[in-house]
Amino acid sequence: MNDQTQPVTESAASFGGVQARSEAAINHVSRISVRNLDFVYGEGLPKALKGINLEFPDRQVTGMIGPSGCGKSTLLRVLNRMYSLYPGQKATGEVLMDGRNLLDANVDINELRSKIGMVFQKPTPFPMTIYENIAFGVRLHEKLSKKQMDERVEWALSRAAIWNEVKDRLQTNAMGLSGGQQQRLCIARTIAVRPEVILFDEPTSALDPISTLKIEELIDELKRDFTIVIVTHNMQQAARCADQVAFFYLGELIEVAPAAQMFTAPREQKTQEYITGRFG
Amino acid sequence: MSATTAGAFARSPAEVKVQRALGRRRKLVDELVRWFCLAATAVGLFFLASIMVTLLWRGVVALDWIVLTQEFQPTRYGDDSLPKGGLVHAIVGSLIQTSIATAIGTPIGLFVGTYLSEYARGSKFGYSVRFISDILLSAPSVLIGLFIYQIFVLPTGGFSGMAGALALAIIVIPVVVRTTEDMLQLIPNTLREAVVALGAPKWKMITLVAWRAALSGILTGILLAFARIMGETAPLLLTSFGNNILSTDLSRAMASLPVSIYQQANSGFPDLIEIAWSGALIVTLTVLVVNILARVALRKRK
Repeated sequence: MNDQTQPVTESAASFGGVQARSEAAINHVSRISVRNLDFVYGEGLPKALKGINLEFPDRQVTGMIGPSGCGKSTLLRVLNRMYSLYPGQKATGEVLMDGRNLLDANVDINELRSKIGMVFQKPTPFPMTIYENIAFGVRLHEKLSKKQMDERVEWALSRAAIWNEVKDRLQTNAMGLSGGQQQRLCIARTIAVRPEVILFDEPTSALDPISTLKIEELIDELKRDFTIVIVTHNMQQAARCADQVAFFYLGELIEVAPAAQMFTAPREQKTQEYITGRFG
Repeated sequence: MSATTAGAFARSPAEVKVQRALGRRRKLVDELVRWFCLAATAVGLFFLASIMVTLLWRGVVALDWIVLTQEFQPTRYGDDSLPKGGLVHAIVGSLIQTSIATAIGTPIGLFVGTYLSEYARGSKFGYSVRFISDILLSAPSVLIGLFIYQIFVLPTGGFSGMAGALALAIIVIPVVVRTTEDMLQLIPNTLREAVVALGAPKWKMITLVAWRAALSGILTGILLAFARIMGETAPLLLTSFGNNILSTDLSRAMASLPVSIYQQANSGFPDLIEIAWSGALIVTLTVLVVNILARVALRKRK
């Protein structure tokens, strides 16, 4: 193997043998801006998010890391208003996209979710055929002819790098796919609605290493067209996928920086301790 | 391992004796519990088997084409030249009333169950509804008959097939509520969130995905409710009353298998009692088949 013969030197921009992206790569055009965001899971409970200010750069990957309960998934669920499903949960502050505050009461929540898609930790295929899984979301927002729908389904499945595996069994039940295939199907389903932003909530934590690799490659490919936010427990994954990384601790945003800087020269003591595995 | 560490855990002869005694006791209790369970099962199976065997034995003897195609005839007093009666009026009456009852009770039960699972989770009102529904589930069915007698039979001026169907529908509702809620609760929350995350309104999430995911379980509940009301007698005595001729008129008294069995078995005439046995066999076989169908549907889901 060639790798064996290469000199073992830790370059400034590598973490755990993974090349991370440097400052120059960060796009400074912001797609979503979070301003002074507070969040509570219910009346009388402590704040799960405290005064968060964060920019999500357009068509780049923002990785959110931190120990369990730090608020990273909570922030993800604020971005597409998923928390609105549960009475009692409340977000205050601003989440700005296209000049509008997504937290406003008069925002059409279904239209918002068509713009900000979400992929979950566990694959969640619907109990229907592969074709219907993809068409389901499209039908919620668009009226397409049979031919247009066929094209859309093929496009979405191709973008999610699963078309070749399922093109001969589109009319079979999606529950029969493997875990990794199911997760890519869920990504295809999200893409099919043509969102602008895709949120990933620990998308590979239920998958084997090969499937994980495929999803990571996919995320890298998707950022050409979509703004991506990914919550992950795996710091190597954040280093591999993310352009910008945000570190959360106890509901606060401790540090946000380009991936390369975050994993090699973090500014904050807490970040340093977390990424070197001293807690978490 | 060194000798010292082994020595630290070695037992004295007295300790060994205690340990062996405990072991013997444990074995004995183990055997006792096992035999007690087996004996209890045998007692239960004995009664069940004796009912089934008697039913098959006496039911098959009288079960013939006439029973399935002819209406009621009075006793023949042993005179074979008189026409033999059947149960077609009761079979048709039962089918009509149970079908209408299922058709009325299922949608109501389905929506109440959906409300409890999807809208009223954790709410006090939901808790009360669930509690009342559970009480209704185990309420004596004669009470339900009395209730319909009061609010439907008396105001409409008489016993009717519709009243019978309504009484049975009230029995169907809590069964379907319970199974619908239970089956919807089994659906992981992430599936609901995944549907909503695509921009689907809640009603689409429920009707297009949640119901579909719970379909076989809900169907099972409906079939079990159907099987249950097939054999209900008490609520029908006070509502559709029973009839000796074939009638499909819902505004008149209507026959049903359980009530016909009750009346003919009580008549004291051997030839009518024989027909009652075959009626009992028909009901039991129907319930059995429906139960098996329900189980097959549920197994497919897993």
